[in-house]
Amino acid sequence: MTELALHNYELDDHCYKVRLLLAALGCRYVKVDVDVHPGHEEHSARYLELNRLGALPIITEGRFVLHGAEAILIYLAGKYDAARAWLPQDPAELGRVMQWLAFAGGDLQPASLARAHALLEAEADEQHVSHASRRAFRIMDDHMTRREFDDGRWFVGAAPTLADIALFPAIALCRDFGIDHDEYPALRRWMARVRTIPGFVTIPGIPSYH
Amino acid sequence: MSFGAGWYPVALSNGLETGRSAGTRLFDRELCIWRDANGMAHAWEDRCPHRGMRLSFGFVRGDRIACLYHGWQYDTQGHCRFIPAHPDLDVPDTIGVATYTCTERLGMLWVYSDREVETPPDLPIGPREIVPVRSLYVDCKPAAVMQALAARSKNIGSAGVTLLSLDADGRDLLTGIQPYGEVKTALHMVLPGDPGVNRGAVRHAAAAWAEGLRRCLEQGTEQIAERAATHEVAP
Repeated sequence: MTELALHNYELDDHCYKVRLLLAALGCRYVKVDVDVHPGHEEHSARYLELNRLGALPIITEGRFVLHGAEAILIYLAGKYDAARAWLPQDPAELGRVMQWLAFAGGDLQPASLARAHALLEAEADEQHVSHASRRAFRIMDDHMTRREFDDGRWFVGAAPTLADIALFPAIALCRDFGIDHDEYPALRRWMARVRTIPGFVTIPGIPSYH
Repeated sequence: MSFGAGWYPVALSNGLETGRSAGTRLFDRELCIWRDANGMAHAWEDRCPHRGMRLSFGFVRGDRIACLYHGWQYDTQGHCRFIPAHPDLDVPDTIGVATYTCTERLGMLWVYSDREVETPPDLPIGPREIVPVRSLYVDCKPAAVMQALAARSKNIGSAGVTLLSLDADGRDLLTGIQPYGEVKTALHMVLPGDPGVNRGAVRHAAAAWAEGLRRCLEQGTEQIAERAATHEVAP
């Protein structure tokens, strides 16, 4: 199979990042459903061969295999976004996008874990992941608060980038694990903007109406 | 320090866009704030009377807000006007959401905290030119924040309304206090004066100062009082 395939679990927030970009790019791809809960299929021999970490998302394209949402976003933007709108070429903007991608893959990981704990029986120290999530959301809200002073609508630059895609799921889904949006007003406004990106798709937990 | 019935800010005006809703709390009571298509702001109990869903999760269409669960639509008075599952029903006036009196002043949305008072007193704050800075959410008890800030500011509000004039590195930062919950306080901050001067670098500096204030408050309100006292005797 040479066509692009996303090994996907519908409720996984990291998979959702990839689905968001694929939809925004209008990419054709095959969705391969993986039974994460309760089957733990991502830890099966077949899937460990694709990603030894036993985690989704994974994409395959011919013999090419790639795992990790942020890496996949960069690959897809590099390959399928001819205009390079999603991954800016300007070194300063590219650096900032990478900074937020690292944040999304690292500092927001407690939020993913908190949600997996609430929805999918993942083990987690509730107090720790909740505290770490709020700390990360606050950093994001402080950033967007100041961006708005200069009429900035997106995390980096004048148009949406991979940073917006990678940061969106954790905060948009945080009500799943008991954190309200009340104290992140700048993120609430930014989330409304993300929803206007052409091709935007939802996930259970994010209402279609808004 | 205690907080009685009165006017409290719950958001910055520019933070609540036309056609949008948001959730907040006052004394741990959940509020839905929303702005209709005509730009009028509303503050209600955050509860759809149908199934108890938070109305702030809902969506604004024109001069109505609809609940996310089953689409019940409420007009600006809080009366239910349309139930999608019963489109032909003339909805009785008894189905409605509890509303709070609210008004906008100094770039903040103010709510009168006591719904039992039928005609609350006017908010005793005049209009002024301002530049909105930010809403700052602090994980501290409202009374402790009030006490810590009182040491480094003066209350320029009147008739029971708290409006602090904070010295933010030499600049006046008007700050309204929202007793959000037991251990959470929101501070709504604006720069008074010529917007032409206060936009740009001045506003960025004020926001940075506010973030520092939040760190100090959360690290210990006693430290603040000490720092303020030291500051006052310094030349």
